[in-house]
Amino acid sequence: MFKKAAFLVLLVLPFVACDKNDDDQAQQNTPVSIGFLHSFYEDEVSVSSNTIQYTNGFGTSLSITRLRYLISQVSFTNQDGIKTIVKDYHLVDLSQDNSLTINDILLPPGAYNLKMRFGFTEATNTSSVYPDLNAVSWNVPENLGGGYHYMQLEGRWLDPGDSPDEPYLYAYHTISAVQNPGPENTREDTSIEIDLGEITVTQGATQINVNMHIDQWFENPNLWNLSELNGLLMGNYTAQKMMQENGQNVFSLASNMSD
Amino acid sequence: MIQKILFIFCLLCIAISCGVDDNQNQGYSPRPVNIAVPAIFSQLLPEPQIPSDNPLTQQGVLLGRALFFERRLSADNSLSCAGCHRPNEGFSDQRRYSVGIDGIAGFRNSMPIVNIAWNTKNKFNWDGSANSLEEQVLEPVINEIEMHNTWANVVATLQNDANYLAKFEAAFGSPTISKELAAKALSQFIRTLVSGNSKFDRYLLGQATLTPTEEEGLAVFLDENRGDCFHCHGSPSNPLWTDNDFHNNGLDENFTDLGLGDITGDPAQFGLFKSPSLRNLAYTAPYMHDGRFQTLDQVIDHYSEGLVYSPTIDPLMKTVSQGGVQLSLQDKAALKAFLLSLSDPSLANNPAYQNPN
Repeated sequence: MFKKAAFLVLLVLPFVACDKNDDDQAQQNTPVSIGFLHSFYEDEVSVSSNTIQYTNGFGTSLSITRLRYLISQVSFTNQDGIKTIVKDYHLVDLSQDNSLTINDILLPPGAYNLKMRFGFTEATNTSSVYPDLNAVSWNVPENLGGGYHYMQLEGRWLDPGDSPDEPYLYAYHTISAVQNPGPENTREDTSIEIDLGEITVTQGATQINVNMHIDQWFENPNLWNLSELNGLLMGNYTAQKMMQENGQNVFSLASNMSD
Repeated sequence: MIQKILFIFCLLCIAISCGVDDNQNQGYSPRPVNIAVPAIFSQLLPEPQIPSDNPLTQQGVLLGRALFFERRLSADNSLSCAGCHRPNEGFSDQRRYSVGIDGIAGFRNSMPIVNIAWNTKNKFNWDGSANSLEEQVLEPVINEIEMHNTWANVVATLQNDANYLAKFEAAFGSPTISKELAAKALSQFIRTLVSGNSKFDRYLLGQATLTPTEEEGLAVFLDENRGDCFHCHGSPSNPLWTDNDFHNNGLDENFTDLGLGDITGDPAQFGLFKSPSLRNLAYTAPYMHDGRFQTLDQVIDHYSEGLVYSPTIDPLMKTVSQGGVQLSLQDKAALKAFLLSLSDPSLANNPAYQNPN
């Protein structure tokens, strides 16, 4: 009996001995959350809606009925150049509140450079390897290059003079640009690095908000004519390259707050 | 310090030993069980979603199975869950509308209930009206045009049945039956209803070969210019063959059934219904939320040339002004052949899914 007790005590001791270090670590790290906000020029876009209430740079009125996009390689690089990837990938879905924030990040207080990526890099955009994304049909068929979607932005649109009774539909889907859709296709990485600049993590809770300027997808540098490019964009190499160009200035740091 | 640790250790020993004795005294030792996950699901999908407050146990699943086939859940002892979710009909109902105990027909087709454990969106029913499976299974019992009963009556009936008393005690360690425990047991059983042994599943595993027509049908399914079915109905990477999301697929100009919009009140969601899985179409006719199409040919014709515009039609519907993408007869035949390859003939005869009563 004494031997058993002694053995169990020995098992317990290392955990007790680790307590102080754990406490130190806990004091060093502080929780950080990253929220995703969305805007169309000055208007906040917080829910998908059927209402045609936005006007893009081309002058087309449109609604946003669906917005989902993939962020990957969320990283914080400290002043010593040490990079910490806090999230490999994250699917933002405007219709799912719990997808609008990345929680569970713990970092020591300090100054960091915050980066993330829109979409997957070529190296990580491997077909079928992410079970949670498979389950929500985020995949791209092999004939269109395989891998995963980067963004699904959908809704209705009207040009000036169009009848408001039956607006047109658009599906602005971004993926890897693919040439020769079909069994012999080749694809090109169109993911976008997002450098959000310097942020500060202070002791307590830190909330960082990142804003997607949805309007930018339609105008900078390529003014987007929805009457010509409103659907079937996945297999359209030129359109994918244009969307990649327009995505360069879509994201910005909205706020960096501490409790 | 050592003394303190020894003291805590002794307290722990006492607590643990007491726990063991208590369980033995109660005779309550449910055996955890896992869902039989098909090989292709293991490769491609997340783990099944099991709520932490309702883990699967052998006893719970057996009780749930008995309840699923139990006609005494209905007011006149004539209708069980299986009456409208028939194992040999893909756990659906080949009648357009299922008929309740008073001879009154419902207004939606019975939804197939397989592979529910992978519904990561946790929205159930055609209209998303239930936020969990445990919530969903409570409703048909009290629905006036289905089982037309009360849970108080069901609980009283079960409480007077020694067989059920023993089953509930074995499953949940409680001699007191409640609707919550019944819902948990039913949910446990339903989560075990898994379909993952179709010809196409075996093809993905390298155990079967598709015919040229089936291969061409898959190409139509995955072609953004032709079927473009994959956005809502999965792909070889998503063997659920549904996105478990809600869409208006262009059935009606005016809605007589608001679907999801009836639950949320949001006009943007009027006429949206949950995408059903394309598994087991060979057994689950008729199709659509209201069972309006008797055949797969009619379904394919609808997407090809039958789409109609309404304010909430899904932007993924193509060339709506022309009725759809105008598939050729060859494409239609190929698509149908492929869709039928998603049916799983082993589902109906799985001995674990049969009536035990």
